[in-house]
Amino acid sequence: MSQPKSNKASVGSVQCENTTLNLLKANDFVAKAIKDKLLPHNILVLNVCSSPGSGKTTLMQETGKRLKNKLKLGVLVGDPETERDAIRIREAGIDCLQIVTGGMCHIEAQMILQALDHFDYKDLDILFIENVGNLVCPAAFDLGEDYRITLIATTEGDDKPKKYPRMFLTSELMVVSKSDLLPHVPFSIDAVTKDAREINPDLDVISISSLNGEGLDQWCNWLQEKVKQKKSQ
Amino acid sequence: MHEISLVRNIFKTLEAEFPDTYQNIRNIYLTAGELSNVQPILMKNAFDAVILDEPKYAKTILHVEVLPVIIYCDDCNQKTPVIQYKFICSICNKPSKNVIQGEELLISKVEFEK
Repeated sequence: MSQPKSNKASVGSVQCENTTLNLLKANDFVAKAIKDKLLPHNILVLNVCSSPGSGKTTLMQETGKRLKNKLKLGVLVGDPETERDAIRIREAGIDCLQIVTGGMCHIEAQMILQALDHFDYKDLDILFIENVGNLVCPAAFDLGEDYRITLIATTEGDDKPKKYPRMFLTSELMVVSKSDLLPHVPFSIDAVTKDAREINPDLDVISISSLNGEGLDQWCNWLQEKVKQKKSQ
Repeated sequence: MHEISLVRNIFKTLEAEFPDTYQNIRNIYLTAGELSNVQPILMKNAFDAVILDEPKYAKTILHVEVLPVIIYCDDCNQKTPVIQYKFICSICNKPSKNVIQGEELLISKVEFEK
């Protein structure tokens, strides 16, 4: 063990050790290994999180259609079971590898490190990690990403940020998806933005519809800007 | 969230840190920030379930302390508590996401039987 963590002191009849042993240390250690592995290639790594069914995979497909001639994109997509999402993403012309978590509700860094052994990532501009649909557990697991992006669909209700604060606290961007449904659902972009920025004042917000294309230019510009920043580091 | 695997992580971590003495551990103090999503009662239930399979920890007790979220305001140079997940300084109302307490998940202390 590398760090000094022990501070021996006797208390009564027991020997007492004060420690700072971090229970997520194993994951954080692997996350650092992922960063080190990708560092020489200047790849922008984005961890895309949301509830199930908020449109992550559809957004990956639309992103592929719009950017595949400008940027080299790759996706690692996590699901508890099946290869269905990877098949959909490959149909959009993007390299994609499915991570089947075997029932687990989040991706851990070790799964990404192993996936990279089977994925041609070296020439990528952006590596998307499409996390398992879940706003709780993925928030605790660093995957070595540059930024976390959280999608929230207009059908989910605009009260999500305060219910899942850690996810929004650790995100760089909130994407409000399914904006084509706004006329039909009681969802306020102003309300969700206000709630989310009470948790994370620096959060970027983009509203999109993968169906009618609204906001996708802004989304693609955001991605291209972050790629530019990454390359100039 | 993942109480059973967290309990197993606690044991793995302690066995790596105290390879010769972990069997004498009687009290484990876990410090969990409010943002770690750890519920003390669920952790204790999971602990009791796991030690059924790990008799070497049968005499060990888990204590869980949840720490509230605290942020640091650069303008006021003050630590202030986060209430109802509003990440704003309670003195000047300026937003801050400089979390100095509330994300941790640590074994803060262990006690050994002599």
